[in-house]
Amino acid sequence: MTRALVVYCHPQEGSFAAAVRKVVVSRLRAAQSEIRVRDLYAEGFQPLLTQAEWSGYLDAPANRAPVESHVADLEWCDTLIFIYPTWWYGLPAMLKGWLDRVWTPGVAFTLPKDGPIAPALTHIRKLGVVTTCGASWWLTQVVGAPGRNLILRGCGFLMAPRCRKVYLAHYRMDASTPQSREKFRARVARAMARF
Amino acid sequence: MPRALVLFAHPVPESLGAAAHDVVVEALQTRGWEVDDCDLNAERFDPVMTAQERRNYHDTAINAAPVQPYVDRLRSADSVVFCFPVWNFGYPAILKGWFDRVMLPGVVFTIAHGKLAPCLDNVRKIAAVTTYGSTPWRAFLAGDPPKRLLKRAVWGTVRPDKIRYIAQYDMNNITPDRCEAFLARVRKEMEVF
Repeated sequence: MTRALVVYCHPQEGSFAAAVRKVVVSRLRAAQSEIRVRDLYAEGFQPLLTQAEWSGYLDAPANRAPVESHVADLEWCDTLIFIYPTWWYGLPAMLKGWLDRVWTPGVAFTLPKDGPIAPALTHIRKLGVVTTCGASWWLTQVVGAPGRNLILRGCGFLMAPRCRKVYLAHYRMDASTPQSREKFRARVARAMARF
Repeated sequence: MPRALVLFAHPVPESLGAAAHDVVVEALQTRGWEVDDCDLNAERFDPVMTAQERRNYHDTAINAAPVQPYVDRLRSADSVVFCFPVWNFGYPAILKGWFDRVMLPGVVFTIAHGKLAPCLDNVRKIAAVTTYGSTPWRAFLAGDPPKRLLKRAVWGTVRPDKIRYIAQYDMNNITPDRCEAFLARVRKEMEVF
């Protein structure tokens, strides 16, 4: 059975992201997945990697203590799905902080004495992103899609070698219409069903 | 006297990033810049955009109010220097939050008829001084998100006359010599900034 962790990051109740989250969760449930949802705003996640945490950053496994339950979820899942609004071509600070604090040495990767960084999330076989962008698809490509690359490549490097990836974005969100939003919801539903 | 806003986003005083930040401030001052040294961690900048801020995001009459001092500092700067570590191919949350909350419509850009237009005319020079755990090759394969965000998104939105990206890669295997070389490079760049 699939074990899916949904990391959700949007400040507003009733946002389009919340609607998308419902679609994702219902589709995963229909596919008999076990699901855990982390709603970072709702739980008041603290996104700052502090001086104290940075000083103990390399000290695995003690470094997981401040974010123990998040690490447990990350180690439990084999499917990871991010739902967030793209701000400044990237992740909201809250979600970036979740990566900063939870994706630490010994959890997401290891740093062997001599040799390159080694992946430690190879139990994750599927990675999904569902997001909304103010910018157009075209402008996002010109900028080099930093948000997409950060997750699909930067985070993807640390997962199973043949990790399946899906990236779903509603571009030009500020000019969206009920039709475009409905179309996007349907696209998310299809993608999640196949996932 | 030209004014430089230095945004510093490393939590640890004994890091190479902090040493580079010291070099930036000192080099700029010796070259006659008035430096507004903004240590986001020390100032306890809150990087989390709230629901209310999100609702008011496009209302340029009120959207800047929660971060007005930071907007004022940005508006009175002739240059901005970002000093930060790259974590997971991105800015630390505290710096990303500064982008989310301070680089607002009406402050940095305007949106009219779906078109973006720059409106932060005072900032003529921008630099980033940064450190990566990753090797350059790996960062390249990842599409170097922090570099592209600065050199493309920020450049395109602010349209400065000059933009510099000064990076030290492969911090996990760095030697003292290479630390010194990096600091010397930062100093040289800032002296001719």
